Order: sequence, then structure tokens, then C-alpha cells
Amino acid sequence: MPPPLLRGVLVCAAALLGSCLVPAAVHSQGQPAPSKATASKVLYTLATQCSLAGGPAQPCTVEAIDEGGTTIYRHRIGAQTIAVRITDSPVTMAIQSGTSTTWVPLRSAGALFSTNSICFNGRELCVVNPNYLNSVREDRQDLRLQGRDLVKVHFGPDGRVNATCYDAGCEADLR
Amino acid sequence: MSAPPISTTSWRRRTSLVLALVLTLPSMTSPLAALAVSQDASPDLLIARGGGGGGARGGGGARGGGGARGSGGGGDFGGGRSGFQNTGGAAGLNRGTSRPTGGWSQSVRGNAPSPGLSRPASRPSGGINGADRTPSTLGAGNRTPAGLVGGTRTPGSLGGIDRTPGSIDRSNLGNRTGLSSGDRSLGGEGTFNRNGNLNRGNLDGNLNRGNLNRNVNGQRVFNGNVNSNWSRNWNVNNVNLSPGWARPGWGYARPWGTGWYGGWVTPGWGWWGANAALWGISTLASAAVINAAVDAAVASNTTYIVVPQTNYQLLFGTVQPVGSQGVSFLVQADDGSTYNLTADCNAGTIDGVAPNSAAQAELLNAACQVAYGSAS
Repeated sequence: MPPPLLRGVLVCAAALLGSCLVPAAVHSQGQPAPSKATASKVLYTLATQCSLAGGPAQPCTVEAIDEGGTTIYRHRIGAQTIAVRITDSPVTMAIQSGTSTTWVPLRSAGALFSTNSICFNGRELCVVNPNYLNSVREDRQDLRLQGRDLVKVHFGPDGRVNATCYDAGCEADLR
Repeated sequence: MSAPPISTTSWRRRTSLVLALVLTLPSMTSPLAALAVSQDASPDLLIARGGGGGGARGGGGARGGGGARGSGGGGDFGGGRSGFQNTGGAAGLNRGTSRPTGGWSQSVRGNAPSPGLSRPASRPSGGINGADRTPSTLGAGNRTPAGLVGGTRTPGSLGGIDRTPGSIDRSNLGNRTGLSSGDRSLGGEGTFNRNGNLNRGNLDGNLNRGNLNRNVNGQRVFNGNVNSNWSRNWNVNNVNLSPGWARPGWGYARPWGTGWYGGWVTPGWGWWGANAALWGISTLASAAVINAAVDAAVASNTTYIVVPQTNYQLLFGTVQPVGSQGVSFLVQADDGSTYNLTADCNAGTIDGVAPNSAAQAELLNAACQVAYGSAS
């Protein structure tokens, strides 16, 4: 038998279903997430600082929940709860605010390692989360992030990353 | 009866053929899907595909020229791989589930930077990688860590370096051209780093007097001697020298979060006073000095710091807490060996024994600062 990943690619190729290459994007377009049989696992709960819409820092907690191929980051800031859902392969991010059950795809995300911060949709939500950045760093031992401080990603209409920039490159006008 | 085994390589070949078929039949598949494969590639990779030229830091997109290091050009497409790299890694971010070395922190210690992506207008002590480098500073020759550059260096203003005759016998220094590349004119604009980490004792053995050398600032540099009970020849190849927290922002990224360190100027260790007098030292390197050394090492992708005023090389990424006041770490000493040591920051011991030299005291101090000291 071929490895599972290759099996999946073969199935997709054989069926000529282009959409199978963007599975996460399909259900991130303002739709409720499909129910998953995968058991959730809380990775950690972090007491930290958050800011909303570029406002001042305020205490918050971040609960990171591994749901198989998806990770949910539930931010509790005062009475508000804002969740960010991140998938790998491909990387997609979506946000869910308050009592809404709808995941709205993010337009952008950025991380500044030196301040241990990650921001979503510009400065709509920023959080100090060294755990997340440590994990990213540890998962990227291939030198891609070595020597980098600022990393930004931009998501296209399909919810997938269509631009990544680093450091001063994020100030470049590539048009 | 089971089918004969099919090798992974064989399946890869078959998969490549199928993928090639799919991609050559655009009418039969989603153009979006085909395009999406390349969309997930980072700019680094896209540049690297071009085979070098014009990229940041030496050309070729990824640093070092010609693509990702070690790939021999062509970025991630070298080495006979399929050409489709793991798209999860292409974005620079991921979903953050890889449990880092040291584990997860439960709280961010006080006075952490405010959340945000605003980079400081000027580089802080130790620097932020790439934060404000201008293209002219990206060359390999002049990337001195921020905070360690001496600034404008006119002959009449030598930036704190004691050049009075007698402080260092320069006749013994021999050929100095091996220190740095070209730009060493004293009239130049601060491109030459004459900071205190430059150990002239390494230039010429004539300066080595007993167990100490002197560096540019006239400070003593104690040899990194070893104790007979230190466990030596640790295989650093089996150790993660760059855990997730050993990066910009490391002070707040240390995952143990809590701990203990005195942060003193004059340590309260019972052995300190008499020994310090014997060694002729009054203080140990400050937190700011050690933090700056780590910052500079991070900025230059170096896995060790030279412990101030010693020849010890502390592999700072190996620092881990032991209990609430202990620390374990790897250090490379003068003899070229790597030692795995455990220090008690409260009791002031290394492997259960009080330091027997000023260098060992500095090593103890540095390891404890990296583990438990205040973040910069």
C-alpha cells in the first residue's frame, strides 16, 4: 500500500477533483465547521496579554485545543471570547467572535517573535503567545525562519496563503 | 497471500506521473487547485526556483545564496525531491501544535511586551533580526550585532578602549589582519566591532599569562578550566541546540515561566567573598551583558555565547531548569570538550561543587541568568 498521503493524492488525481487539494478552504468560507469525530485535546491554557483593535494590552487567557488537523485558539478577554481556528496543509485561519457559530476566514496574520506577539486581521486581535511561536519555531528547523523576526501571511479569497513576507520585506510594495 | 511489497519510491514515481497527467490536463481539473500548489510556496521558494540572483542576503532567495542552505542550489527542489514541498511549512506559520522543547508555558511573566507587530524604530540592545537593516547592511561582512558596535571611531575618540601604553603590550599582538575583513580604518563609521568579546589572547599566545588573558578593553579573560568531576565529551549532535524559545524574544519565550535567581551584584554564596578577593574580581557579568550576548548570538544564528571574561562557550539553547533554582546546560571549555553540567543557582555550585575559579563563577552566573534572569 502507498503511504496514506499518497493514497489521498492518488484518489484526488484519479477523481480529477481539484477541490480535494483545498479541503480546508472549502469549509472556511463563512460556514460552520463540520463536526469532527476527532477528540479534542487541550494543549495548554496560557495567562497572557491581548489587545483588540489596536487598543491597550489587557489580561486574557488563551486555550489551545488540538482537534486533529485543526487547532482552535480560544481567547477570553474580559467578557469576550474570540476563537481562531488554524489548519495545516494548507495553512488557513478563520476567526469566530462571541456567540457566532460562523468561522470567517482571516485576511492576514502576523507574528513578531521578539515581542512573542501574533496578530490577526491587522490588529483586530493581538496576543502575546510564546507557546505558539515556540512551536512554530521548533517546527521550522529548516532554516526558513532562522534569523527572522517578523513574519506575515496574507490569505486569498479561497482562504489560503497567497503571500508571505519577512522582516523588512513586509514593507515592500510588490505591485 | 499478500501482494508483493511496493516501495515508497515506486509509489512516488507513480504519483508524480499521475500528478503530471493531471497538471497537463487543465480542462479536466480545477485551475484554482493547480494554481494553489504554487500559491502556498513562500517567496523564498519562488525566488529559489529561479536559481539564484538578487535575493536577500547573498542572493538566491534563501540565505546563503542559491536557495536553502545545504540544498546545493535550487532551494527545496534540490536533492531529487518531488518539487512539492510540504505546504504546511510554506507559509511561515503553522497551527502551532508541535510541543516545543521545554513544553508549554502556562503564563507570560510580567512586563512582557504589549501584543502587537510594531517594530521599534531603532534596534534594541541585541537587535531584532532584520528589523531595520538597510540593504547596504545585508552583506556578510558587516553584520555586527547591534548594541556591540562602537560607533564613529576617530583616532582621538576610541570609545572606551583603553589604549594607553602599558595597558596592553601591543608589540606582542602580532598580525591583526585575521580579525576581520577590510574595513578597519579608524576613521571609518563604526563598521568595525572592537567590543569586549574580542579576545586578543586568542591572537597571540604571548599574552597568555598563567590562567588569564586580556581582551581589548583590558579586562581579564579567565581560561575555561574544567573540574575533574565534569562529565565530558557530550555529543552535541544529539542535542537540540536551537529549541523554540532560543529566538528573538527568548527572555519571555522561556517555557518554564517561573523560577528563581538572585539577580545580585554581590552574591550571597558562602564561598563568594574570599574567593572573589582571591581571584581579584568584585562583580560578575550583569544580566544586561549576558542578555545582550544571547541576543547577539540569536541575531547571528550562533548557538553559543562566550561567557563574559572567560573562554567558556555556553550553548545557551541547552539551558533548562532543574527544579526551581537549578539549571542544566552544555558548555565547551578550553580543552575543546563539551560538558554537561548542572548548577544550583541558589547554592552557587556547579555539579555540587563551588566554582574553583573566576571563570567558573562567571559560567555559573551566566547559566543562571539565561535560565532565570530578567528578560531584556
